[in-house]
Amino acid sequence: MIDAQPPALPQEFLPRTDEPTPDLAVATRGLTKAYGRQVALTGLDMSVPTGKVYGFLGPNGSGKTTALRLLTGLLRPNAGTISLFGTPYTWHDRTRLFKVGSLIETPSFYPYLSGAENLHVLAASGPPTDLRRIDQVLQYVGMSGRAKSPVQTYSLGMKQRLGIAAAMLSDPELLLLDEPANGLDPGGMVAMRETLRYFTAELGKTVIISSHLLHEVEMLADVVGIIDHGRLIREGPLADLLDSAGRVRVRVAPDDMTKAAAVLRDLAPDRPLYGVDSGEGVGWFTVGVAPARAAELNQALAAAGVYASGLEPGSDLESIFLDLTGRTGNVAAPPDTRGPTAEAGPPAMGQT
Amino acid sequence: MRLIRAELLKARRRSATWILLVVALALTALIYLLIGRSIGGVGCDISFGGLDESCIVEFPASYALIDQFAFTTLGGLLAIVYAAAFVGADWNWGVLRNVIARGESRARYLLAKAAGLSIVLLIGCAIIFFFALAMTLLTALTHGIPIASPLRGNGLVDLVTNFGLGYLVVLERAALGFAVAVVLRSQLAGAVVGIVLYLGEGIITTYLTFTAVARYFGDSGGFGDGALQLVGPEWFQYLPMTVGNQVLSWAPGVAGNIAAGGLQGIFLRPVPLEQALPALLIYLFVAIGVSIVSLNRQEIV
Repeated sequence: MIDAQPPALPQEFLPRTDEPTPDLAVATRGLTKAYGRQVALTGLDMSVPTGKVYGFLGPNGSGKTTALRLLTGLLRPNAGTISLFGTPYTWHDRTRLFKVGSLIETPSFYPYLSGAENLHVLAASGPPTDLRRIDQVLQYVGMSGRAKSPVQTYSLGMKQRLGIAAAMLSDPELLLLDEPANGLDPGGMVAMRETLRYFTAELGKTVIISSHLLHEVEMLADVVGIIDHGRLIREGPLADLLDSAGRVRVRVAPDDMTKAAAVLRDLAPDRPLYGVDSGEGVGWFTVGVAPARAAELNQALAAAGVYASGLEPGSDLESIFLDLTGRTGNVAAPPDTRGPTAEAGPPAMGQT
Repeated sequence: MRLIRAELLKARRRSATWILLVVALALTALIYLLIGRSIGGVGCDISFGGLDESCIVEFPASYALIDQFAFTTLGGLLAIVYAAAFVGADWNWGVLRNVIARGESRARYLLAKAAGLSIVLLIGCAIIFFFALAMTLLTALTHGIPIASPLRGNGLVDLVTNFGLGYLVVLERAALGFAVAVVLRSQLAGAVVGIVLYLGEGIITTYLTFTAVARYFGDSGGFGDGALQLVGPEWFQYLPMTVGNQVLSWAPGVAGNIAAGGLQGIFLRPVPLEQALPALLIYLFVAIGVSIVSLNRQEIV
């Protein structure tokens, strides 16, 4: 059957006791936060290396935004510690945030002020900010042309761009961006990616980007942390993560899905198996075997009378994310072809 | 200063600022138009306790209406609403988290907001005050009532004292609306609760005034020598809204004019200025203090 339960925590993700070091822009140890009886974070141990893009991933309600709010002093933790650039940070160390720029949740501005005026009033708070920086950041995010229009006339994507500009206003060492791609058009997403790449690669700054858009994070992040139920369940360089999770994607006819699932499960009995009927006459499986075993896999399918019409390396962030969080993805198959996939059933919206 | 300038920019650009100012000016003009229609006499006889209609357009007695209108009834109410909108909008629009996340001091931010608000109110009060002065002169001229200049005798001192005391009253009321909005984290809730407090205290003190007067009559068996302002000062005259009226009751042109004080002015002796003014300032600073403590404790979500 398709795995529905989150895997047990590997040994290396049990609570960390090591001290944060200066090469970590952000380190949290045992960070815990509850809203009344609702626990949002339960001992978050995250380590964000300086000068990297850190992809902070997790399902809805997993605690991502709460963690970012704690990092920016909006909330007080119930327990645990936060370190910024190697030194402890507490609720009252507000000036430490002078090195941090953030976009938390939705971008919020005075609707009756223009984009430039909003940045102007924002620049009056926090760290001393050169007002010439306003034009610069507006240019970074491609908003110079609409800088004088009231924010209430902006689309969601434009507000999002302005939010990113606001986060970059004081030339911070650390950028925290919560779902920055929300509402951005493809051009905007590419521009954001390039800007953030420049920010880290050329300027040596650090970016934490929380997103549901796994493909976007995969293209951008150097390091990822996956959070679920308020706890970090996986963290490490993205490349290592992708390498460690060997997968092959197999394309078969929908009618063959049941037969194929049995063969594939035999090949990797300890790894989760995902099946997707694309609904366009094609069924896809993602099977947990190293791409080097693709030929063996093809041979086994052929021996069972199933002919794969496609085989490709299948390790991607999405499959790793689904593995780790126990979410099943779009596992749906027509009633007559539901074999092994049927046990998992279609995903509920609330599950993903 | 950067923060205060930013607050002034926000206030200048915000339509609520201009709408409330226009409303205040329109109502002021309207009230003088109505007064003009009702004036029959020629000259103010203050010995009648300021109840003579002509007194309302003849200086210095006319300050009574100007002060009442610009600073207590209309001005005070608008100040509560505006202050709640001024500070509460930061929660409604979610912009507060931008500021806090940049490392700005919560106390400094609120103090800058309060300073910005006080400047905006100073300008607003001045506009309404001088507009009411102009309307007074215009109404007097229109009805052939001899114009007594607002600057005659102690004129300039009277003018400054009236404005100064009135502005303090407006500030105190605004501070109360400000504090309510910060504690409730909402401009609408701040304005509504502020108005309820304002009206509620008015209703309660009216009832308490009747009770005090009834108690006096019960004790003395009647009006005695027929003099007014027999009772008090009573404890409820120190309540946050009422104490402002007490301060203004000592303003030149208002003092001794029992018509200016409404029901309380007729029946109750005013709280001495040396008590009323400190009480007003205490309310003002406590309201700001409560706002700062509240914001410092708040989690911004």
